Amino acid sequence: MGSKQTTLLQGTLDLLILKALGTGELHGLGISRRIEQMTRGTFVVKPGSLFPALHRMEEAGWLSGFWGESENNRRAKFYRLTKAGDAQLEHETEQWTRVATAMTQALKAT
Amino acid sequence: MQLLSRVRSALRNLLRKRQVEAQLDEELRAYAEMMTDERIAAGVPASEARRSVLVEIGGVEQVKQAVRDRRAGVRIELLWQDLRYGVRQLRRNPGFTVTVLATLALSIGANTAIFSIVNALMLRSLPYPHAERLGVIFTRIRGPITSDERHHVNGEQWELLRDEVPALLSAVSGARPTGVNLQAGPHVQYVFQGRVSQRYFDVLAVQPLLGRNFSEIEDRPHGPKTAVLSYGLWRSAFAANPNIVGQPVLLKGEPYTVIGVLPEGATTPLNADLYTALQPTRDGEGGGTNFELITRLRDGATWQEADAQINRVWLARSSRYELHDKPGAQVSYYTVPLQQGQIATLRPQVLALMLAAGLILLIACANLAGLTLVRVLRRTPEVATRLALGASHWQVQRQLWIENLLLALVGGAAGVGVGFVALRGLLLLLPQHFLPVTGVSLDARVLAFTLLISVLTSMLFGMLPALATRRFDLRSAIGTRMSTDSGHLALRQVLIAGEVALTVVLLTASGLLIRTLVHLETLPPGFNPAGVMTARASLDEARYHDAAAFRELLNESIAAMRRIPGVENAAVGLSLPYERALNEGGLVISDGKEAGQSAMAAAVYVTPDYFATLQIPLLDGRAFTDADRPNTQRVAIVNRAFAQKFFHGANPIGRHIDKDMVIVGIVESVEMAPGIDPTAPLTGEETLYFPAAQAESRMLPMIHVWFQPSWIVRTARPVEGLTAQMQHALASVDPDLPFSGFYSMGDVLAKTLAMQRIEVALLSTMAALALVLSAVGIFALVANIVAQKSREIGIRIALGSSIQQAMLHIGASGARAASLGLIAGLVLCTGALRAMRSVLYGIGVYDAPTVLAVVLVLASVTIVATILPTLRIAGIDPAQTLREE
Repeated sequence: MGSKQTTLLQGTLDLLILKALGTGELHGLGISRRIEQMTRGTFVVKPGSLFPALHRMEEAGWLSGFWGESENNRRAKFYRLTKAGDAQLEHETEQWTRVATAMTQALKAT
Repeated sequence: MQLLSRVRSALRNLLRKRQVEAQLDEELRAYAEMMTDERIAAGVPASEARRSVLVEIGGVEQVKQAVRDRRAGVRIELLWQDLRYGVRQLRRNPGFTVTVLATLALSIGANTAIFSIVNALMLRSLPYPHAERLGVIFTRIRGPITSDERHHVNGEQWELLRDEVPALLSAVSGARPTGVNLQAGPHVQYVFQGRVSQRYFDVLAVQPLLGRNFSEIEDRPHGPKTAVLSYGLWRSAFAANPNIVGQPVLLKGEPYTVIGVLPEGATTPLNADLYTALQPTRDGEGGGTNFELITRLRDGATWQEADAQINRVWLARSSRYELHDKPGAQVSYYTVPLQQGQIATLRPQVLALMLAAGLILLIACANLAGLTLVRVLRRTPEVATRLALGASHWQVQRQLWIENLLLALVGGAAGVGVGFVALRGLLLLLPQHFLPVTGVSLDARVLAFTLLISVLTSMLFGMLPALATRRFDLRSAIGTRMSTDSGHLALRQVLIAGEVALTVVLLTASGLLIRTLVHLETLPPGFNPAGVMTARASLDEARYHDAAAFRELLNESIAAMRRIPGVENAAVGLSLPYERALNEGGLVISDGKEAGQSAMAAAVYVTPDYFATLQIPLLDGRAFTDADRPNTQRVAIVNRAFAQKFFHGANPIGRHIDKDMVIVGIVESVEMAPGIDPTAPLTGEETLYFPAAQAESRMLPMIHVWFQPSWIVRTARPVEGLTAQMQHALASVDPDLPFSGFYSMGDVLAKTLAMQRIEVALLSTMAALALVLSAVGIFALVANIVAQKSREIGIRIALGSSIQQAMLHIGASGARAASLGLIAGLVLCTGALRAMRSVLYGIGVYDAPTVLAVVLVLASVTIVATILPTLRIAGIDPAQTLREE
């Protein structure tokens, strides 16, 4: 367990999941590890937040789930982005960049 | 896109719940196992790895629940859970549930049935294209006598309307469809004939399936005799012969050429089997206001223009019958939509029924509010437990509302069933052609109405308990075992009093109608209706336009009927007692003090034994005899009312009317449906009888279009197969003349009083329903007090109170509420029932026997409803109730 965890901002989990799946299909643990790696350990997503989010996003049509084999031959549920998911990733990235830029500028202002 | 996907997911979550759960379980298990694999690979011992993973996941069940809470369709699932819980709760209290459902089914059923009639009469659009452009004309008269109603028109008015009102396409018809004889194949069939003018079908926008409509040529006086068949008659009597147009059919003993067939489902306000051309004139039938009018607004015209044109041409008429007996009156004409005009006479009755049905619903709501209030209070411990376990007030309220809604919907569905049956019964009660519509059914609008009132009812009866429990004090609710709040008792008593008050109004109203009907049915009829059988036949036949043939038919058929064994006497009359008779407006008294005065009276041709057969007492002078023949002195007999009104009690025998008609006798007035002055459903109207043998050829065709004479036989005792023998007797004289029906005098009376009978039947049913509901309400109130206060009663009995005293103490609360309601109801009656004055005959609005009967009925019902539940007090064991605490 990482010692230096930051609380996730509302809405950022979706974006992180979409981003994690942007490079290819992953199972639940894979997504969790990928987020950890992408944020250099700043965000560790626990299953209590991960799975509700995955299921919600699957129901919204952004992700599609399918059953496959993990690297050490376990049957696991994999997720990948749908076309709508791709569009959502693009949309949310753009939105986030705008907010982040604005926030950074605001905090730098004297 | 997103929505669609969510709906699909929601459906999957709801319908394939087991599969979705299994997959979630497997997914989480795989997650944990993969994590464990990672740790083992990193060198952690297997058991330690497994333990640490479970700790990190933080409870698999919690994760699953977190997923479930976010799932699509979770609200629906929660609702479903609440519903199932509600059903379980309702099944646990079968007494409550059955009472509520029965109350709802009966009250909603009554409303559904009545509303279907309102719907058919007033809301459903008429079955004609652009029905909103169809109208009828009302006459408004202001002056010494005011009136505002649909008037029939005469020939002059019709011609003016046809030729000088360009804003309207107009048509007239004979007022009612009349029965005529149609020869189809070997049989003579009795069918309903509608007599309509040119353009009648154009006004209704009905295009014939075959052939064409009546044109100006057929509609001319003495024009060709033609007929248009309804689709039903074309199929049944002519086997849907496609070449029927141009063929002659034998109608009324004459060939009529078929010129058209109406399409399937086409109807007219007359609703007849076949139509003939009216051929209206300014004299004869058209000399009086005998035509019914319908109009259609032409394209581009407005109703204002049409009304202005009508007023201009009709007010300039040479002879204004509207002003005959009302000199100086202000007359104006205006158009009313066809549907509204057709039901104008039924409207007050229908709306009164709807009002009564609404009262039933209110009474039911008061009952149900009381019942649910008690139920909610009884569930205080359950509600307290749920609140203590963390349910929100909203969740508790939602559960209560869901149960109410569930009851209302199931009750409403049962109500539709009850309504369907009630409507069937109601329609059986109505005479044929009573409602000016072809069918009354439970259509989508009625079902929507039922759904609406079901939901509304649940709101009304659920609101009170919801308000009562809104501020729910958790601490005191858990502390006390059960609430016996006296504030709620007072509230329930007020509810009961309210419903009793409404019941009193309905009971009194139906009591007054019953008394009216009894009064009308027990009026001294002026003749002896027992042992009389009558049969009617249409003499609207070419061969009986000749007076000699008509006389011969009467003489021979009466002689044949006298030969039937058991028949004491036989006669024929143009109309019967209890019936409406022909109005004769052109009578003028020719001599004596009243010379020159005109006398408007009923006119009836009769054969010599008419008075003897009906046993109408001859007061003075003589009856007609066979010696009164066409070439002898014209004679008449008047009734007592005629003598009183026109001769002011002086002996009229020997006086002359209509120049050369001499009065030879006076008979008792018989009760009949009024044709001149309709102040009551039955009156002894001024009547002039004249011998059928002296009826003139020129008037026979006209009066036989309007009236079908009756053959009357009197038997000492019931004769088996009498009607068949009467038919046989007539057939022996004219095999092509069928009787259209056989009626005892009771049947004739029933037909005349149909409206009163229907009013009584419907309102009494409603009042009985209200009474039952009130009784249930009082019973439930007292029964609940007994249940709630059993401990108090136990203590009272233990302290020496007798069971009777305890019963009295408890029952008093029910009796108090009922008496309060009775008083309030009587007060309400004094105001509300004044509106009934116009439908009451022979009694006043404040009728002591009716009020007394209502008080007695209500008192006995109250006593029974309060005593029954208090009987349980006798079974209370004081020792046991005290131990229970």
